Amino acid sequence: MYAYFNNSSDTGTGVEQPVNHPPVIKAPTPEQTRELARLEKQLALIAAQVEGRLAKNARSASSWKMSGGDLAVPAGLSVRYSLGSTSSVVNGAGSAPRNEGPVEADKGNAGSAVKTSEKAFLDLGSAGDFDRTYAFSYSVWLKPTGMGGAPLSKMDVASDYRGWDLFMNGDRPAFHLISKWPENALKVISRRRIPAGKWSHVTVTYDGKSKASGAAIYVDGVRSELDVEADTLSGSTKTPVSLKVGRRTTADSFVGSVEDLILYPRALSAVEVKKLNELSAVAPILALPVEKRTKEQAATLTRLWSLNHDATYAKLDKQKLDLTAQRQKLESQISTVMIMDEMAKPRETHVLLRGEYDKLGEVVTPAIPSALPPLPVGAPNNRLGFAKWVVDPSNPLTARVLVNRMWERLFGIGIVETSEDLGTQATFPSHPDLLDWLATEIVRLQWDQKAMWKELVMSASYRQSSDVSTELQKNDPLNRLIARGPRFRLPAEVMRDQALLAGGLLVEKVGGPSVRPYQPDGVWDETNVYGNLRNYKHDTGEGLYRRSLYTIWKRTAAPPEMTLFDVPSRETCRIRRARTNTPLQALALMNDVTYVEAARALAQRMMLEGGKTVEERLRFAYQQLLSRDPSADELAILSAGFKRKLAVYDSSPKATEALLKQGDLKNDPRLDKAELAAYTLTASTLLNLDETLTKE
Amino acid sequence: MDETQILNIQDKINRRNFIKGTGGLGLAALFSMLGGEALASGTKDVYGGLPGIPHFPPKAKRVIYLFQSGAPSQMELFDPKPTLDKFRGEDLPASIRGGQRLTGMTSGQKTFPVAPNVFKFAQHGQSGIELSELLPHTANVVDELCFIRSMHTDAINHDPAVTFFQTGFQIAGRPSIGSWLAYGLGTENQDLPSYVVLTSKGTGRADDQPLYDRLWGSGFLPTQHQGAKFRNLGDPVLYLSDPDGVDRPTRRDMLDDLAGLNKLKLKLTGDPEVATRISQYELAFRMQASVPDLTDISKEPSSVIEAYGPEVKKPGTYAYNCLLARRLAERGVRFVQLFHMGWDQHSDLPKAIRGQCYDTDQPTAALISDLKARGLMDDTLVVWGGEFGRTVYSQGELTSTNYGRDHHPRCFTVWLTGAGVKKGMVFGKTDDYCYNIVENPVSVHDLHATILHLLGIDHTRLTYKFQGRDFRLTDVFGNVVKEILA
Repeated sequence: MYAYFNNSSDTGTGVEQPVNHPPVIKAPTPEQTRELARLEKQLALIAAQVEGRLAKNARSASSWKMSGGDLAVPAGLSVRYSLGSTSSVVNGAGSAPRNEGPVEADKGNAGSAVKTSEKAFLDLGSAGDFDRTYAFSYSVWLKPTGMGGAPLSKMDVASDYRGWDLFMNGDRPAFHLISKWPENALKVISRRRIPAGKWSHVTVTYDGKSKASGAAIYVDGVRSELDVEADTLSGSTKTPVSLKVGRRTTADSFVGSVEDLILYPRALSAVEVKKLNELSAVAPILALPVEKRTKEQAATLTRLWSLNHDATYAKLDKQKLDLTAQRQKLESQISTVMIMDEMAKPRETHVLLRGEYDKLGEVVTPAIPSALPPLPVGAPNNRLGFAKWVVDPSNPLTARVLVNRMWERLFGIGIVETSEDLGTQATFPSHPDLLDWLATEIVRLQWDQKAMWKELVMSASYRQSSDVSTELQKNDPLNRLIARGPRFRLPAEVMRDQALLAGGLLVEKVGGPSVRPYQPDGVWDETNVYGNLRNYKHDTGEGLYRRSLYTIWKRTAAPPEMTLFDVPSRETCRIRRARTNTPLQALALMNDVTYVEAARALAQRMMLEGGKTVEERLRFAYQQLLSRDPSADELAILSAGFKRKLAVYDSSPKATEALLKQGDLKNDPRLDKAELAAYTLTASTLLNLDETLTKE
Repeated sequence: MDETQILNIQDKINRRNFIKGTGGLGLAALFSMLGGEALASGTKDVYGGLPGIPHFPPKAKRVIYLFQSGAPSQMELFDPKPTLDKFRGEDLPASIRGGQRLTGMTSGQKTFPVAPNVFKFAQHGQSGIELSELLPHTANVVDELCFIRSMHTDAINHDPAVTFFQTGFQIAGRPSIGSWLAYGLGTENQDLPSYVVLTSKGTGRADDQPLYDRLWGSGFLPTQHQGAKFRNLGDPVLYLSDPDGVDRPTRRDMLDDLAGLNKLKLKLTGDPEVATRISQYELAFRMQASVPDLTDISKEPSSVIEAYGPEVKKPGTYAYNCLLARRLAERGVRFVQLFHMGWDQHSDLPKAIRGQCYDTDQPTAALISDLKARGLMDDTLVVWGGEFGRTVYSQGELTSTNYGRDHHPRCFTVWLTGAGVKKGMVFGKTDDYCYNIVENPVSVHDLHATILHLLGIDHTRLTYKFQGRDFRLTDVFGNVVKEILA
């Protein structure tokens, strides 16, 4: 059966960031789906209009005549390179580029370009010798093949990365200016991405003031928003290593193509960058006779001509850009869900000897053990077929396992006690016919668990009193005969939720990231040298009061109050929990700030909502916690106890203040403090009652 | 059966069946009590544990395990190799390495230069066992110790290796050795947890490998058997202190109310589990006094304090934990485990190991003398060791005074002392390179089997059924190392 599952593309290795691990699917909310459809529709509309304008403008654009001044790139460059199989200096001062490794030429956006890779790069000698106090700019066309690498760099990796570069942070252009990485450096990353396989124009400008705010990155002439990753530059960034296209001194190779590199010894303005972007695209095209221009070149020309000469087009283009940005933002907000998928070429599955992953035994193929019913007729022999088999009405196993677990939840012990195992090593069912009947019921109810729960809780068996006679206790201590109702301690999560609910603190919000409720100071600091739960700080506000299932949990750092109450460690799959009754649990329920605060909250509710007299307020608390009125005996114990505690706190304002400070919850200023303290201890007594902690 | 009867029986169970009140088990035990005294005997009362265990009269009643986390180098401490000097700087012969897999930290190294230990060894005591100059205090008690120089393990990285030592399996999720013992043997002191863990950070390497709570977890055993880690910050036991504003008389008063109400419930429902709950609250109240009493070392005589060395008064140090271990042993705690971090010396080993020995040498020796002076050595087993050994070749550059050592699973030294173990003995032998075992290999399973044997347990018969299989600490392996038994 393992072979059915040993066929997912999941790599089995984790990723550090809190992201979902592939394979994933997108899981948009209905609102997101609607919004996405709306944007797509608008984009299609605009795209059609854009196309219309471009078709109309094509002829005018082909005969675009720029005046002489227009054709020149902004003045004052230090050097401009033409890159290709033999690269050269077009303008300005600089040594001729030297090829390192098997450098190849590529067809550029406008002219020729050069391909760089792990083995091939260009050395431009001493050009670009900028320090942090110099203003400078550079502009280049890029067509990445993959992600990452440094298309341009004058940086000495061996000397703490001193120097400057253009670096691809994945698919986002970034600019480093470094004296000593990471403590003395400037790094900004463009939020605009550049796609693989397409030409993009990237310009970086820097004002020489050593601050990230003085750096700008432009993609296709448009200034990008930046993420600042380092802004601590104060030392010199000069380095003797040469300027390179396609890598740093060593490694960080840029795999892709590079075209038309220009360096400026000043910070270009936004207008200049836009012009540079257009010109570096347009000028080389215009230089060609009309009939020699490729389709792409003609399209570029038309687009840029339209931007400059057709106001309607410019407006549409801006709308298109905005809509595209909106769509991109929306898409980035859509949650993903990790899924299992099937690899195109199935992985070979072996028997693992003694379960060890590196001890391969014989090769096996997906199949159902022959002792069990076969796959349903016509079902494919894969995970889908297996899923159909699991829920096939003629397969009794799944239904038995499911109803047995439901029974265990309600009655404390399954009809088959070993609820994790209904195989040959399992205990024998106490009521085999009942188990089978329940199994057929859930199939009849079409696996509707809610309906099944209803049927179970409405049964005469479940509705019996859980009180037990001496005789019954002696003859059937575990209640296997179901001659009485179930009685057992609540699970840890329910116990905490119940205390929060009684105090009116529980936040019943569904979903969202994990929350950080109270934990003892430094709870995980001593053991976890690494990891993000060191220096744990609890949330404030609703994060303290969410249901326990949202409490943050790492297998290396489990919440101690949960494991004290038998919540398994999550190292292995556990269906059945132990139910222990220990002094450490008593300590937690009496002293953990969670429960002390909940008691205080319940005390406030008793005083504010419970009526005027002590008895009324005790009745209110009993109704909240136990859904019943207290007996006369119980009232007598509690009201006498309350009076004694009131006397204690009346005579000790210091103790009163201290107790009322447990937890973040603010006290209602209208309430008498000593009284509130006495009610807090009374409420704590009630939260610790056996009956409160027990389901009966 | 009326309420008083139930409470009486429950009290009896609580004395015998510490913190063992699962709905099922508690009741099962209750009625087995009615049928007669079924549980194991001994001079002291035992609470909890399984019927029929111990399987045979034990030599030891409790264990103090001094776990040296990060893996101490066997060559600098216990296993002298004087002939190694002549191979200094030479590449480790392939015939010795024998294709041993390497960690990612040295697999890229071009050479594996032999790095002889720079510390001097000398013979000590009646037994004449050789020990390093790094361990002058241990040298004073060397005649008490039984060194196994031929330990080996399957794991080569910390987490799986420590997990292997703790649970008998490299993958996390099985019960730790201490929780197995708590489960099988119960406890002699119901006011304290039966398995206590104490941790300390070493001066040898501040950023050493982390520890995880699951290392002393109970796996698939009920969680009451998990190790209780005494915290070095705040309450030693979680939630021990009453909240501010609640003094002892007020807590007592509250508990009296609670007991009164719970007794009413017991009368009404007849469920003995209510009686268990009443007594657990009383136990908790007693624990609030017994734990502070345990950790208060102010009444220890100055001679004892001095013996444990200068760090003993600082909570959270190894020295303090050693003293606490003795106090826990005195109080009948079944399994006390210290974890001292900082032994993972990939670089600057000569300097770092001095720091570790400063932390551990004197307190360890003092603990042994102290246990002996109090007669506790007669029924206490002490174990000292890490999760694997270290390589004979240098990780990184080898100079005349400096080197590092990588992880080495094929041989390392662990020592035992106390009840049932031969004294002043060296067992097992490694080759001239301290790389392979040439005599009497002892696996982690063998060590586990031996520890269980000393506690009167046949390691093949302490089992727990989980997911259709009977699991045991030693999996399907393990042989008692009879040669070291007294």
